[in-house]
Amino acid sequence: MIITREPEFLPETPNVFARLGRAVLLSCRESGRALLMTGEAFLHMRTMFSKRSRFDVMYQLYITGVKSLGVITVVALFTGMILALQTGLELRRFSQQVNIGTAVCVSLTREMGPFMTALIVAASVGSAIAAQLGTMTVSEEVSALEIMSISPVRFLVMPRLVALVVMMPLLTVYTDIIGIIGGAIVGKTQLGVSFRAYFDNAVAFAHNKDLYVGLFKAMVFGVVITAVSCHQGFCTKDGAVGVGRATRKTVIVSFLTILVLGYVITRVFYK
Amino acid sequence: MIRFEHVSKQFGTKKVLDDLSFEIEKGETFVIIGRSGMGKSVTIKHMVRLLTPDEGNVWIGDDLVSEARGSELSRIRLRFGLLFQGSALLQWLTAGDNVGLPLHQGSDMPQEEVDRLAEEKLKLVELTDVFHKHPSDLSGGMQKRVGLARAIITDPEIILYDEPTSGLDPMTSRTIDALIESLRVKLGVTSVVVTHDLHSALSIGTRIALLEQGKMVEISTPQEFIRSKHPAVRDFLDANFITKKPDWETHPS
Repeated sequence: MIITREPEFLPETPNVFARLGRAVLLSCRESGRALLMTGEAFLHMRTMFSKRSRFDVMYQLYITGVKSLGVITVVALFTGMILALQTGLELRRFSQQVNIGTAVCVSLTREMGPFMTALIVAASVGSAIAAQLGTMTVSEEVSALEIMSISPVRFLVMPRLVALVVMMPLLTVYTDIIGIIGGAIVGKTQLGVSFRAYFDNAVAFAHNKDLYVGLFKAMVFGVVITAVSCHQGFCTKDGAVGVGRATRKTVIVSFLTILVLGYVITRVFYK
Repeated sequence: MIRFEHVSKQFGTKKVLDDLSFEIEKGETFVIIGRSGMGKSVTIKHMVRLLTPDEGNVWIGDDLVSEARGSELSRIRLRFGLLFQGSALLQWLTAGDNVGLPLHQGSDMPQEEVDRLAEEKLKLVELTDVFHKHPSDLSGGMQKRVGLARAIITDPEIILYDEPTSGLDPMTSRTIDALIESLRVKLGVTSVVVTHDLHSALSIGTRIALLEQGKMVEISTPQEFIRSKHPAVRDFLDANFITKKPDWETHPS
């Protein structure tokens, strides 16, 4: 797949319907290009352990996983605490606050865990990918790779795709655990639910399916973040302004796609 | 070696290349000069198919590069080394890793051998003790030379130079010129240089072409170029103080 694109000059049109139609067609074309690029990156995964790729893959795993842990810890802890507090205060009216373990555990594993993790990773890692690839594109580094017959998809996209597909489920499990612990702390300190009662309740009513669906979602979100951020990076033009635009679009498009796909996956697995 | 046949290219309403035809012989240093925005960089980007002509063909030997795709395009591109205007070095790699990148990514050569060859090419462009430095730690001239070392590490048949001396001081520019000339002599490569530095063009070019309004209005040896009667060439020479004294010498007041 040729990444370096020729400049495009579209004629101005005063017709609003023509402009709308063109915008839809361009969106379809760009989505198609992003899908093709991601498909090619999946094909290149067979080389991920080769001498030429393994260092890049390891580095991206480190950047995506280890570097995101700090912010994920804080967000997950407070998400679990908020969930426990909001639910627990309502349940306390019916003396059912012991059930917050189930509420927090199911919400986190099924929905909030993958969703919150994906938003954090899209905003931190995804935007960084778009900015880096965007800068490389405008400074002709991506063109230089193509002239050297080095596939930018294999060299730049594949390691990031591996990192996000592997790390997103792991980070989601981490988010779930920290969130559940946060809920337990609130249960103990604010609602008078002992740790034992909280965890017994959480384990008793949680289903494996919730965890598996959550992890599947996380993996899909990882693919979405890679596809959007790398594609936006490669589409960058107009120098520094363009890099800023690509970064902003990456976050917006990732968020919207994650929201929509999150609903679709839930709908498919929980009819 | 390189042949343009009636190549035209338009960006929006602006025609950048207009029915352009010329041929570059093997082993020569062909310099394309012209004012900014006249299509010099566009011309060399057609040679490696970073751009595709709207009309016409670009041939590299017997290969029609303007139609090439996939593995055929990769094979043709391996015949080239390209020094970009901004060097285009990967900022997170050291100078040595940048130079060795085409071999590291494109061959099964052991890392020690890649490093040895990278060191050798860095010496060829007169750089020592920069192997472990990152591009941000190097001056503009040094970055250009690292870019040049990377361009020649695969021993290409053709080296393309996009504004090799732009943004450099005159002394460093002459050093780069000397390097281009020495690489032609040592490696026997065909060189295509895009520049608006006339002094550089006259010192390294075996032929010089002036690109004006999408056409090559003059293609000649440096000696013939200076004597050319073409108005565009005269204007270009005058602007570079080659044929007349600068205004501040003729009108000191």
